[in-house]
Amino acid sequence: MDPSNEVVALVGVGILLTALFLQSESFIDPLIRGVALQSLLLGVLLGWLAWTERSPDIAILAGLTVVVRAIVIPYVLRRQIRAFRWRSREVHAANRVTGHALAAVAAAIVAWFVFQQTLASVFPQPGAALPFVLLVQGLLMLATRSNTLVQVIGYLEEENAIVYAGALLAAAFPLFVEIVVFLDVLGVVLVGVILSIQRDVTGTPEEAALEELAG
Amino acid sequence: MDLNAQIVNLLQAATVLLLSPLLAGVSGRWKAWTESRSGPSIFQPYRDLAKYLRKETIVPEGASRLFLAAPFVAFGAYLLISIVVPIITPYPIPFASTVDFLGGGLLFGLAGALTLLVALDSGSNYAALGASRTVSFAAFGEPTLIVVFFAVAVITGTNNPYVTNNLLTASTSAYLSPTHLLVTGAFFLLLLAEIGRLPVESAGLMELGMLEEGRLYEHSGRALGVLRWNGWMKQFLLCSVFLNVFAVPWGMFAEPTVWAAVANIGVLLVKLLLLIGGLALIEATIAKVRLFKIRDYLALSFSLAILSVFAFAVLGVP
Repeated sequence: MDPSNEVVALVGVGILLTALFLQSESFIDPLIRGVALQSLLLGVLLGWLAWTERSPDIAILAGLTVVVRAIVIPYVLRRQIRAFRWRSREVHAANRVTGHALAAVAAAIVAWFVFQQTLASVFPQPGAALPFVLLVQGLLMLATRSNTLVQVIGYLEEENAIVYAGALLAAAFPLFVEIVVFLDVLGVVLVGVILSIQRDVTGTPEEAALEELAG
Repeated sequence: MDLNAQIVNLLQAATVLLLSPLLAGVSGRWKAWTESRSGPSIFQPYRDLAKYLRKETIVPEGASRLFLAAPFVAFGAYLLISIVVPIITPYPIPFASTVDFLGGGLLFGLAGALTLLVALDSGSNYAALGASRTVSFAAFGEPTLIVVFFAVAVITGTNNPYVTNNLLTASTSAYLSPTHLLVTGAFFLLLLAEIGRLPVESAGLMELGMLEEGRLYEHSGRALGVLRWNGWMKQFLLCSVFLNVFAVPWGMFAEPTVWAAVANIGVLLVKLLLLIGGLALIEATIAKVRLFKIRDYLALSFSLAILSVFAFAVLGVP
């Protein structure tokens, strides 16, 4: 394999590893750090692509990804969750680490099979399935977790997957930069505004159960 | 038959046999340092061994002949492994062609199963507890090992550890391939579990969390000495395989001479000391996981092993 593809492959596997970490972690702070690391790796990947393709657009995008996704959003998220009373960990996930880790691996394999059956002929390059796998990991996280904060992190992972897919498969498309910027803004709005509304107005299902336990 | 090769063969077996207690001694000493104790001498395992071999052997009432025989058979299995895996030579020595990775794994399995049978045979509750715990965790450890073999086979196209060593030494891109990095990580996690290190097991007699110690509870005298020696040999062998086949395949002299093999013993010792130092650091910085969380730990190791094969499937290269 030539060195360029090798870097893309290594960073891709790194992103996959962070996805596995996110699936098996139940504490909120490490989850935020994990998704920040994932975004940082994505920024590195974009930076590498910008370098190999000599594209200033993607270089700006790489900088934006690192600043917004790896620094600003985790920072805002951490500030937001301070106001939640039950913020340190997701309770139900703690006893299911084995199940979550194995489910993540199983979901990755299923996602890869689906990709092979559907999109592989359109995107034949090696590693093209990884963004799709990451997307399924984010979906799995949304489906298996009941804590809102963790679900937001799952959503951020899905956004990462979309940016990853764009970087790997459609970096030359005209609207790519705009869509990624839109997703960045959406992420900030989600963690900055919607989360606080949810906290003040509806609460989370898990929170209600914990309040009851606390008496 | 080539005399040179036979001498190297004997040398390798002797290395494992005689240096494995030293490795355990150094490990114990360094661990003591990280706890601000001066610790026992690095030669303490040899003294322990001499003491065990002198002491009277007591057999529990109702134990079968297996109780005394099995430790020695397991000893033979470990000794056989020591002449079939790359320890002090990067080229195959005469017996190496008898087994591949899977064969080595089966020999480890044979020795482990015998130790378990002996523990059950003793009729002691503690020993049975250690055995049942070991088996329930092995149910997660063994699949990882098998998948690690698959991943190695994927990288080289063969299941021979010597080929893996040569390929990794020759090709940086094979060494840096995601499959190899992931499988090395998975094997390292498994190594920590197999040789009874933190975060899985804390050395010494702590009855609530003991796995390895529990199984030896009823043994005494020579049989206990041999079982302890088995444990040290297992640690030495697994660490050597981890270093020479996965993590640090470089540095061995390839000439098929006795002197090169002797020099390789020095190279191996340096690598092993670095690894043991790293393990001591790890032990000093992390806590033991709860007994029921060991399964989670092994599940992560298994996931890494699966991902290594997955990475090959997705990326199309080893």
